[in-house]
Amino acid sequence: MSGATFENLKALVVEDNAHMRVLLRSLMTALGLKQVYEAEDGAEGFQLLRDCRPDLVLTDLSMAPIDGIAFTQQVRLSPDSPNPYVPIIMVTGHTERHRVEAARDAGVTEFLAKPITTQNLFLRIAEIVERPRPYVRCKTYFGPDRRRHVDLDFSGPWRRKNDTGRSAA
Amino acid sequence: MSERKPAAATMIQPGAYPVMSSAAAMGLMRALRDPETSLAAARVIADHAAELRTAVLAHIDRVEEVAQILDPAAIYEQAHEIRGLAGNAGLAATGRISNVLCRYLDAVMRAGKAPQRGVVALHLEAIARAAHAEDEATRLGDAVANELSQLVDRKLAEINESDAQR
Repeated sequence: MSGATFENLKALVVEDNAHMRVLLRSLMTALGLKQVYEAEDGAEGFQLLRDCRPDLVLTDLSMAPIDGIAFTQQVRLSPDSPNPYVPIIMVTGHTERHRVEAARDAGVTEFLAKPITTQNLFLRIAEIVERPRPYVRCKTYFGPDRRRHVDLDFSGPWRRKNDTGRSAA
Repeated sequence: MSERKPAAATMIQPGAYPVMSSAAAMGLMRALRDPETSLAAARVIADHAAELRTAVLAHIDRVEEVAQILDPAAIYEQAHEIRGLAGNAGLAATGRISNVLCRYLDAVMRAGKAPQRGVVALHLEAIARAAHAEDEATRLGDAVANELSQLVDRKLAEINESDAQR
């Protein structure tokens, strides 16, 4: 990840709606980021990821031809990906559970529901900076650890091999 | 439900993968906590509201066009754009009603059914009224959104019942 200093930090906004794209770019500029790149879909976003090496990505979910889920999968899994660990915030109006779960399973780091508020946007970015999550690599998934909460009463089913010891604890 | 076999998972801790430098992180956190930054960002959102409202109205025109042929995917696409923009356009009620319509269309499409013209028409009328009303207080949006949400719940229950009876 680049950005030895705050002044060098770069953000990439991937959003097909021009109005929302400009709003997100303007918010990143208001935050003090001087290098903000824009893409209209996942394909252009991936190209910019390779060319510009952003430190933070904000992406929409619904875009054509490459949507935010396919884009995230490409960033996380493609051998061509310059940084599979880059934090990705998905900014979306989707509230349907199956769509949100699909995005989570693609490897999104944080969700930001529309309408965008300063507080919610800043909270998501702070979360990424202050509490970077471990990444998980297994046969079916690569991305930020999807387990955010430790449930001491949880007794299974255990999904990871290294979970099995916990069941006896 | 069949249980999945536990998978071999490798955990990669922050630091073992490249993270933001501490200098950059400190600078970013300072900016995020600075009240001036929050004010500047809030101004950005406020400054874009009028432009977004114009965009919402354009999408309302488009959704009314595509509704004529009752193509659920096309209606969903426009309704989704409206719900995405409306909140930041100062049209919260419009966004909530669009969200209810999206929920209905999404469930209908997943069930492989056709949407009911009347249900779509009711939502579109409410969306247009909410977006064109003089101010938020006269939009009665919350009440309308709740009524439509209950209607959608009933319609989706009907779909589930008819599927269950097969």
